[in-house]
Amino acid sequence: MTGDPYSAGVRELFAAPGHAGDLEKPDLRVQINDQGVRVALAATIDGDIIGSLRFRAWGCPHLLAAAEAFCRAYEGRPVSALQAFSAADLMQTLAVPREKLGRILVLEDTVRSLGQSVRQSPEPGKDTD
Amino acid sequence: MSNSTDIVYLDYAASTPVDPRVIEVMTPLFGVGGDFANPSSGHLAGRRSQQHVARAAEKLAGLLGCSERELVWTSGATESDNLAIAGAARYRADRGRHLVTMPTEHKAVSDVFHALEQQGFEVSWLYPAESGVLDPAELEAAIRPDTQLVSIMHVNNETGVIQDIEALGAVCRARDVLFHVDAAQSVGKLPIDLASLPVDLLSTTAHKVYGPKGIGALYVADRPGCHVEPLIYGGGQQGGRRPGTLAVPLIAAFGAAAGVAMSEMQDNYAHLRALNDRLWQGIRDLDGVVRNGGEDSTFPGILNVSIADVEGESLLLALEPLCVATGSACNSTSSEPSPVLRAIGRSDLLAQSAIRFSFGRPTTAAEVDFAVARYREAVTTLRGIAPGLVA
Repeated sequence: MTGDPYSAGVRELFAAPGHAGDLEKPDLRVQINDQGVRVALAATIDGDIIGSLRFRAWGCPHLLAAAEAFCRAYEGRPVSALQAFSAADLMQTLAVPREKLGRILVLEDTVRSLGQSVRQSPEPGKDTD
Repeated sequence: MSNSTDIVYLDYAASTPVDPRVIEVMTPLFGVGGDFANPSSGHLAGRRSQQHVARAAEKLAGLLGCSERELVWTSGATESDNLAIAGAARYRADRGRHLVTMPTEHKAVSDVFHALEQQGFEVSWLYPAESGVLDPAELEAAIRPDTQLVSIMHVNNETGVIQDIEALGAVCRARDVLFHVDAAQSVGKLPIDLASLPVDLLSTTAHKVYGPKGIGALYVADRPGCHVEPLIYGGGQQGGRRPGTLAVPLIAAFGAAAGVAMSEMQDNYAHLRALNDRLWQGIRDLDGVVRNGGEDSTFPGILNVSIADVEGESLLLALEPLCVATGSACNSTSSEPSPVLRAIGRSDLLAQSAIRFSFGRPTTAAEVDFAVARYREAVTTLRGIAPGLVA
């Protein structure tokens, strides 16, 4: 027991959120405000592949770290992978405490919403927010 | 001066380092050849130990303006608060079971009142003005014929707000109600003269004033009707009010810390005032920043600020290696907004963003400048990451 509420992974992601911010021309942008936190995701889509991802978030360090971790992991992956994103898996990887589940689920909802937006978007390249 | 090379410590309201002059007094009392004996023992070694206790009591009594026999040694302010509140409430329960306090008290006080409520006592919780200060007229109005005890802290541990204990105590004294003051944050830092103040019970601890953890004291005024029932049993030490073998090295250390505090109080106060002003001047122009607690009614060792549109837990982490608090240290693992800040009218969001900077004797202007720079950078970064309110 170190008494540190943050794992090394959370600390690294929080300290270097390289994917925080905006994309110049996102194909999709979604935002969910819930559980006292806010998560926004923006993406470019190249066919069935996720091009670039950016996030904006207002919440605890675990949420910001999780959003950064998602962006790092999903660039270059098929769009279909978005529906399989699991907050529980990410929480385990980053050692996020159980009481933060509600906030990380907001990220999961936002990711799923992004995936649904891809399916509903007739013409990638248009901002759907 | 930081007490480590990789941190900047601005959390002196949570705990202070032990002054080297205090360590010098305490250390020889632990081992062989030192005065380690039980001070209750009648032999020569015991009497020598007792002399250390007597000297410490003399110094602490000198700092507080009371008699040595009015002091009860405890393990710290939490025990002192428990003994004062539960002990006095039980002692006077046959006269009445109504008690008065504030929701802005430390948990060492408020949790005792919650426990007493479960035991059939009735508690009135008085809310302060936005400045954090309680109007004595509010207290006057709350006191009833069956009121037995009022407990109000001197300096608030989160905001530094100073209560007018002289005026509040006068209200209690006029109605024959015992007045307890949690002075954990003020003893040794602000002048306290119990010979002239209408205070019946006063809690203090050593580790907030450059003494060791594990030792505190409760002042119990030597006046009719003022007494505490013990919380623990097992011997006749300290008049039965708090039995148990006295921790001589810790008590001697508390006495030494009290002596140093008394001799340096004025200089330390000016030092804290300058640091507080320097930090506030460095951040007050930030958009949405507010000071918690009135500028004119707070102890300068503490500066508590909230800021709009910044999440508190992320702010605290972004401030590292700056060591500060989001509220009282005892509350720092909770994500619930501080009840102290809610009581002075802060919204949940503002209360949740609160950061308590607290300064000490070793704090330097360079450390405060570092804190200013770090705070400004953290606020800018986190605001830069946050999305707008509207999707």
